[in-house]
Amino acid sequence: MVTEGERKDLMLRIIDLCESVSKRGVDPFDVEVKEFFERLRAILPKLRDWDELHLDIDAVLGLANVIFHQGEWIKYKSSLLYLDPLLITWKLHTLSPKELSEVFVGSWHPVVDMECLTPHGIKEAMDYWTNLPNFGERARLDATEVLPEEVALQELARLGIISEEEFVTILERVWGELKERANGGKISYWDFITARTFEETVDRAWLVSFLVSYGYATLEVKPLEEEILLKPLPKPLKLERVATFSVPISISRSEWQRRREHG
Amino acid sequence: MAEEKDIVELREKVARAAQLLLFRRHMQPGVKAWELKRDLGRNYLEVIKVLEGELGKLGLTVKKVEEGEEGSESDRYFVTMRGHPAVSEARTFGWRIDDMAILTVALSYILSKRGKAPLKEVERVLEEKFPRWRVEQDIDRFIRRGYLAEDDEGTLYVGWRTRAEVDQKALLGLLLGREKVSEEKVRPESESGVTEEEHEAEEDAQ
Repeated sequence: MVTEGERKDLMLRIIDLCESVSKRGVDPFDVEVKEFFERLRAILPKLRDWDELHLDIDAVLGLANVIFHQGEWIKYKSSLLYLDPLLITWKLHTLSPKELSEVFVGSWHPVVDMECLTPHGIKEAMDYWTNLPNFGERARLDATEVLPEEVALQELARLGIISEEEFVTILERVWGELKERANGGKISYWDFITARTFEETVDRAWLVSFLVSYGYATLEVKPLEEEILLKPLPKPLKLERVATFSVPISISRSEWQRRREHG
Repeated sequence: MAEEKDIVELREKVARAAQLLLFRRHMQPGVKAWELKRDLGRNYLEVIKVLEGELGKLGLTVKKVEEGEEGSESDRYFVTMRGHPAVSEARTFGWRIDDMAILTVALSYILSKRGKAPLKEVERVLEEKFPRWRVEQDIDRFIRRGYLAEDDEGTLYVGWRTRAEVDQKALLGLLLGREKVSEEKVRPESESGVTEEEHEAEEDAQ
């Protein structure tokens, strides 16, 4: 005897499985369509209310969709583009970046196009220049205050402040320093970032934010003791497997001076 | 006399087709079939064929990318290189070895998953070989440039530019046919597999 709970559970399980085929790319042949239809058929006379019937419809529609995906799968597998995904993943794993770049270049036929200035564009530029107030007038125009915001790494690279390679090297140097100073344990955030100058301190705080964001270190906040601790990790942590949160830390010149004087 | 007039007209149309295809007039390069039809007339495919012959002498070709049903007026035409550049040339176009490698991994993985794969999955595969910050930065850039496309649910697809520029069958074929270079033959490399000299050469080239 199948209880109402078991019936609902079965239908919800079928719906979820069907969704995983259409949304997450699960192999549609992994779904035992025939068996599920037989089980749905067996419980159909026992369905009591509208909710159960609605679930039954969803489950049947889901299974029909799985059959559609099976058809598409067969079409794709029989096409010339089909190659074993496992084999491809294995190849991607074993080849070096240089070899992979050669694979790309060998199949690459870049688009050729040119950007040009049209007569319309020239007229627009001329109108803009003619109507542009002179510098003295522009200085008197109302200006909107823009609040400071986070500068992305790409933006810094674009401005030439830091290059991508340099950044990784610096990050790894700071990580090494953190590991050395923490000596297998934890170290106070302020002790670690505080440097001789305020600018250097801000710079170190910025780098530490990347260490934490990229999983090189963890941050422990003790609100009662008003203490923030940094703990370096032996190897970078994959962040999608842990719960993450943001911790805003304000660094002012006065705070830096106070900590420099009082430790 | 009439024949001469036809030749002159055809030449004008071929020149017009070249301008349409080569000069970017929209955000994306290339031109749609309906635009060619509007400017060149109903026989635009014949004009394109003549143009293709002329471009072939310069190592270029006209590529059609289907959008929607076969023979749709939304199909887009591009001028692309007939052959493929060498790795050293690609680097002078502003591409790094790592960028090309990341795109190869992302595209091959997506293609092996029937043309779509969750972004997180692609990132996880890439992070086995490349630093996280570079993976994130490159994926964003490839989406902006049209090599990859992402939907609201975080699924990655092959983008319009890949369909225009990359021979997908050749990509997978080359990947599977590629033999791993034995360790003895490989020069000492940095973590990403690119030597310092190569990085310096890349910097110089850019």
